[in-house]
Amino acid sequence: MSVQTSVEETVKKIAMRILRKPEATFSTAASFKDYDADSLDIVQILVAVEDTFDIELDDEELKNINNIGGFVGYIERKVAEKAKR
Amino acid sequence: MSLKGKVALVTGGSRGIGRAITLKLASEGADVIINYFRKTSSAEATAQEAQAKGVRAHIIKANLAEAEKIDSMFDEIAAKFGRLDILVSNAASGVARAGLELDTRGWQWTMDINARAFLLCAQRAARLMPSGGKMVAISSLGSRLVWPIYTAVGVSKAALEMLVRYLAIELAPKGIAVNGVAPGAVETEALKLYSQAAPGQAVKSTPVGRMVQPEDVANVVTFLCTDAADMVRGQIIVIDGGMSLTTSGPLVVEGGSHG
Repeated sequence: MSVQTSVEETVKKIAMRILRKPEATFSTAASFKDYDADSLDIVQILVAVEDTFDIELDDEELKNINNIGGFVGYIERKVAEKAKR
Repeated sequence: MSLKGKVALVTGGSRGIGRAITLKLASEGADVIINYFRKTSSAEATAQEAQAKGVRAHIIKANLAEAEKIDSMFDEIAAKFGRLDILVSNAASGVARAGLELDTRGWQWTMDINARAFLLCAQRAARLMPSGGKMVAISSLGSRLVWPIYTAVGVSKAALEMLVRYLAIELAPKGIAVNGVAPGAVETEALKLYSQAAPGQAVKSTPVGRMVQPEDVANVVTFLCTDAADMVRGQIIVIDGGMSLTTSGPLVVEGGSHG
């Protein structure tokens, strides 16, 4: 499994569990708002992602991300940065 | 008011009120353990500021909504410091919604972090205080006043305050003093989440003529962590510049001096 697929799969599992939606409805083209996410959902997703990948997400950088695909890409960059260190 | 040689844990100790408490305790000589939720860079920056005061500073990331994370945090404290003298339960979160809009998850999250975390921290902290200690919980005036969309947080703070009273009695024979403080609107980033009002409005309704600053809270908390406050038990000290003693509206007396 490639790193890319692995990150996307993990984000899908985390996000759909917290949003209480079937994994089959997961789409990288959608935004979390499309799944009726509220601020608590978002915080819980961010914390779970940070814990799972042992990375730190920057709230300012996250503001520029429009959909879940962008979120996955951002996490992949953070994971890659961590691997380089 | 020296706390030299004491070991203090401040939950949510990296930013806002928690940061001010951490730095004040450090400036009185206490080694500080800074618990934080997400931002390692903020925690490291606060730790460096504390260390510059000549004390040890240690950071621990832990989401206090999770009981296991609280346990891990205290395991780490026990391993690294072997004891604890001061617990400041400051970490807070909450869902900003009106009562009719609250769902069970938002309610649970708020209660877990604001009330249950103090119970779980106090249980573990007490075991690390065989020779006595101090516990201070940071409440809010929202425990007794009604503010828009503060429902869950206000109720959680009321629970926290009652927990302070019960623990104060239960832990008094063990030489552990338990108290709380209830600040009014404190000028921090968190305030912006709840208040649309301009800061000027908060100043107008505060007889002292200025907003409460994080350092105002830190000063009172630090006093409660000293033996000078030994006979203060189970009390919630309001820190609001007199705001809650008055009705709303412009309250600054003409010709009054505010320094």
